[in-house]
Amino acid sequence: MSNQKKRNFQIEAFKHRVVVDPKYADKTWKILEHAIDEIYNHNASGLSFEELYRNAYNMVLHKFGERLYTGLVTTMTAHLKEISNSIEAAQGDMFLEELNRKWNDHNKALQMIRDILMYMDRTYIPSNQKTPVHELGLNLWRDNIIHFIKIQMRLLNTLLELVKKERTGEVINRGLMRNIIKMLMDLGSSVYQEDFEKPFLEVSAEFYRGESQKFIECCDCGEYLKKAERRLNEEIERVTHYLDAKSEAKITNVVEKEMIANHMLRLVHMENSGLVNMLLDDKYEDLGRMYNLFRRVPNGLSTIRDVMTSHLRETGKQLVTDPERLKDPVEFVQRLLDEKDKDDSIISLAFNNDKTFQNALNSSFEYFINLNARSPEFISLFVDDKLRKGLKDVSEEDVEIILDKVMMLFRYLQEKDVFEKYYKQHLAKRLLSGKTVSDDAERSLIVKLKTECGYQFTSKLEGMFTDMRTSQDTMQGFYAKYPELVDGPTLVVQVLTTGSWPTQPSATCNLPAEMSALCEKFRSYYLGTHTGRRLSWQTNMGTADIKATFGKGQKHELNVSTYQMCVLMLFNNADRLSYKEIEQATEIPASDLKRCLQSMACVKGKNVLRKEPMSKDIGEDDAFFVNDKFTSKFYKVKIGTVVAQKESEPEKQETRQRVEEDRKPQIEAAIVRIMKSRRVLDHNNIITEVTKQLQSRFLANPTEIKKRIESLIERDFLERDANDRKLYRYLA
Amino acid sequence: MGIQKDRIKFNVGGRIFETTATTLGNAGRDSFFGALFDDNWNLLRANNNQEFFIDRNPDCFAILLDLLRTSDLHIPSNVPERLLYREAAFYGLSDHVRSAKWGPFDGNRLSLCRSVTGRAPGDGTAIRAGPDGGCAVAHGSMVHVFDWMLEEHPPINLDYQRVNDIGWVNTDGIVISACERLGTADGGMGLFTSSTGELRYKFNVVHDNQVKSYAAGALSFSPDYKIFSSCKGRSNEYGVGVWDQVTGKQIDFFYESPGWSLGDADKLQWLDRRNCLLVATLFPRKDNCYISMLDFREKRMVWSWSDIEAPVTVDEKRVRDAIAMEESNSICVVNEYEDLGFIDLRMSGGSVRWSSRSRLNKGKMPDESCYPKLALHEGQLFSSMNDCISVFCGPDCVLTSRLRRSHGGSICDFSIGGDRLFALLSEENVFDIWETPPPPII
Repeated sequence: MSNQKKRNFQIEAFKHRVVVDPKYADKTWKILEHAIDEIYNHNASGLSFEELYRNAYNMVLHKFGERLYTGLVTTMTAHLKEISNSIEAAQGDMFLEELNRKWNDHNKALQMIRDILMYMDRTYIPSNQKTPVHELGLNLWRDNIIHFIKIQMRLLNTLLELVKKERTGEVINRGLMRNIIKMLMDLGSSVYQEDFEKPFLEVSAEFYRGESQKFIECCDCGEYLKKAERRLNEEIERVTHYLDAKSEAKITNVVEKEMIANHMLRLVHMENSGLVNMLLDDKYEDLGRMYNLFRRVPNGLSTIRDVMTSHLRETGKQLVTDPERLKDPVEFVQRLLDEKDKDDSIISLAFNNDKTFQNALNSSFEYFINLNARSPEFISLFVDDKLRKGLKDVSEEDVEIILDKVMMLFRYLQEKDVFEKYYKQHLAKRLLSGKTVSDDAERSLIVKLKTECGYQFTSKLEGMFTDMRTSQDTMQGFYAKYPELVDGPTLVVQVLTTGSWPTQPSATCNLPAEMSALCEKFRSYYLGTHTGRRLSWQTNMGTADIKATFGKGQKHELNVSTYQMCVLMLFNNADRLSYKEIEQATEIPASDLKRCLQSMACVKGKNVLRKEPMSKDIGEDDAFFVNDKFTSKFYKVKIGTVVAQKESEPEKQETRQRVEEDRKPQIEAAIVRIMKSRRVLDHNNIITEVTKQLQSRFLANPTEIKKRIESLIERDFLERDANDRKLYRYLA
Repeated sequence: MGIQKDRIKFNVGGRIFETTATTLGNAGRDSFFGALFDDNWNLLRANNNQEFFIDRNPDCFAILLDLLRTSDLHIPSNVPERLLYREAAFYGLSDHVRSAKWGPFDGNRLSLCRSVTGRAPGDGTAIRAGPDGGCAVAHGSMVHVFDWMLEEHPPINLDYQRVNDIGWVNTDGIVISACERLGTADGGMGLFTSSTGELRYKFNVVHDNQVKSYAAGALSFSPDYKIFSSCKGRSNEYGVGVWDQVTGKQIDFFYESPGWSLGDADKLQWLDRRNCLLVATLFPRKDNCYISMLDFREKRMVWSWSDIEAPVTVDEKRVRDAIAMEESNSICVVNEYEDLGFIDLRMSGGSVRWSSRSRLNKGKMPDESCYPKLALHEGQLFSSMNDCISVFCGPDCVLTSRLRRSHGGSICDFSIGGDRLFALLSEENVFDIWETPPPPII
């Protein structure tokens, strides 16, 4: 092409519009509409999918998407109107069947229609913010069928009626029910909730309100709970069979509220069958049921817990304050342990080991054990009893179990230092008389006390054990040094550290000559090996084994106390001794002497002495003889001392006093510790802090604390603030 | 062995194809072929052994059938891509084609696939990748929208006001934030349908029960359908607004406190794990840099950092972009020399730990430089500087790749999404599309 010839182009108007069939859209839509009709008439097999798909594609491509969409809505609505009429016409039971069948048909049709209109679904609908075909089909079904005035109420009533029938024991078609409910859920959660769930819950609430009223009038508590539990399970089962899983919480809530929460107090306090009776009768199953049901409602568990606590406190209070029960300490503690076992098993079997229940149990025990001031003593006596004889044929594990239980009671005690006092006394007796059954058990308990209360609490107890051990070594050393002494009487000395052992009024008596020589020898041996020590004899605590020959030559070995030995030795040189003579020769304190004579002369089977006049009590003018007629089946005869095992009233006072005395320095130490760190503190705060610091050992008495503060002020540890009399200052 | 029972014969525009039900099943339920199966994935056939006629282009059908057989897309040179895409749309196989066209995103395997020239006047403002491989490009007051086939859709504008930021809320929704026009209710923020360019709704800001006009800045979105934007109102109503993208209603407003900057923010980033919004206002929009994290549940700034008190160093390292890396509990920042720095997110008031990477670009700064930008994608950190994009990997952010094109000027913005990287070049009004090639055959 040459550049010289420039052509002038003229732009002409576009003359020939492309002519297409003006009825194109109508024709294509007619084909599609016909297809939809055929689908709803179950005649789909004759349709060509490719042709329909292509037609729908072309309509969208040629900008007839809007036409296609509105056409679809109109046609489908018309079909659904027809369907709603046929559903409405169905009679009785056929109603749900028809609804279900039509729903299935509609779903199938919807699937096919969507396949045909897929191109519109993918392109036209998202860019024009229209509802996708499938969702549209569901919405139209909802509006034309489910919300059709003649169907809506009928459907709801039919469904509720079926549920009611099932509740009263009839068998219903669960499959159909499930399909219908599924349909409601498919139509959207709001349809399910509004058109079924809400009225269902209301009707259920009414039903259970009536039923619970009926049950509570005629059933006892256990039976009522059984019924409530069954109803609850039925509802849960119903949900799994044909309701939306989300309804479970709601319907169970209704049952819980109507059957349990509304009748909670009445159930718990029901006469002859309420909670207290269940506890008394060990009705684990009923209790467990009550726990599981009440757990579901607000305040349910706290209701049970409160009633249980007050019941425990009441029975516990009776247990510890009943004067009958106080006679035997072992029995007393055993009862406490039994009660605890019982309550523990209730909590573990019925109350799911609920921590809050365990706490309630603990606080109850703490409450009533401390109602009785003698609890610490009794617990120590119980241990004493167990460790003396009670654990003889018991395996190691069982011993541990018993000790653990005792420790548990110990934990409840507020006055742990009182327990310590008694425990020390009892332990001393056990150790010195050699009556402890198992060293391991003793040590194990000490370890437990140590872990519970710390080193300080048990250091003295441990000191006692150490003394016992070193004494053994000392005696071996003594006899190794003086081998010639083996032939004479054997002396066993237990050297006790003052302070570790419970202090005893030191009342020495005159030992028989044979013994006192030996004792002197030991004293010089001991003081020779240990310098700077003082040795004093505690004759009131010793024992002796002596060989005796009675009138007819019967020989016995007598196991007696040191005092008794002293008395008996006198009879080596005399046949008859008056009380006065014995008292003079031995210098045993009168009360002890009387007790030891009583045990030798008045106890049947152990009466190695005879006394004139024959009577139960020892008089100042009595005379004593060797009982030549003494017989015993055993070669070894153990002559106990008549001792009051339980503390007598004055002794008790004394122990009490000693405890109070021991508390003083502890309270003072606590006050000083606190004031040293705080410098200035007001009265009330000191009291609280001191009480808090000491509560692991005992419950400090506020007036006592006040006295201690005053004493400390006197001794210039503290001073009162010049302006505020309630404030104390620490003086460094 | 007998005869295969699942064979099916197609007659496409006169050509006969035979395939199996298994192959067609790969098309999925939502396709032309899916409709040929019943609920149990058995082929429906009305008249046995008869061929199934389809009135479409056979060449493209062959390609698509091959795609269904192998999940691999091969387009012969004689078939235009556009033609194939159209046919794929007919059969409902567009998604198949798209996912076979390029591979899963990997910053170290990217190759330049196309450059698209725009017709906009002036410099580009922003480019944002859409979730399915499309993108939106803002030039001045116009936003051009391209789908994954890089077909351009009707452009979008918001009252022809200057666009500050754009963002995709989903495959079919784009939010534009724009300046206000004084004295009118124009500008602000609007949500558009990307395919048609229609405005769906504008987002209002209400202060003291009164609708006020405002200029919207940076945008961010959270998975629970919230839209965040930094806002400047005329009566000093500065702060960050929150809207519901479904209803278009304003649901919250975090007012800027004195001495701090929120309404001027350059960058918002929603941190899903912390349930917080990162707001960064950077030099030179303000004289100082402010980075903060907002907790909207407590209406409280839970973390903040600023360089107000920091001493000015000799080479004056100023933060030009910031991005939070939730995995490593830090915020990565970049300065104008493309030095990376890190700030610890676990404590407030920390300082920037600049990395000692050697400055490869020093000394050859182009005449018209653009500020560096940062992006994060599946553990890989991207930073643009001048005409190239650097890729950093690993916990220590090691430089592993550089993407560079020979001409087109410096990169003023880039964005990653839909397994593609889009880079907008400032000089020639062009944007580049980088893709990872499909995975190797074996």
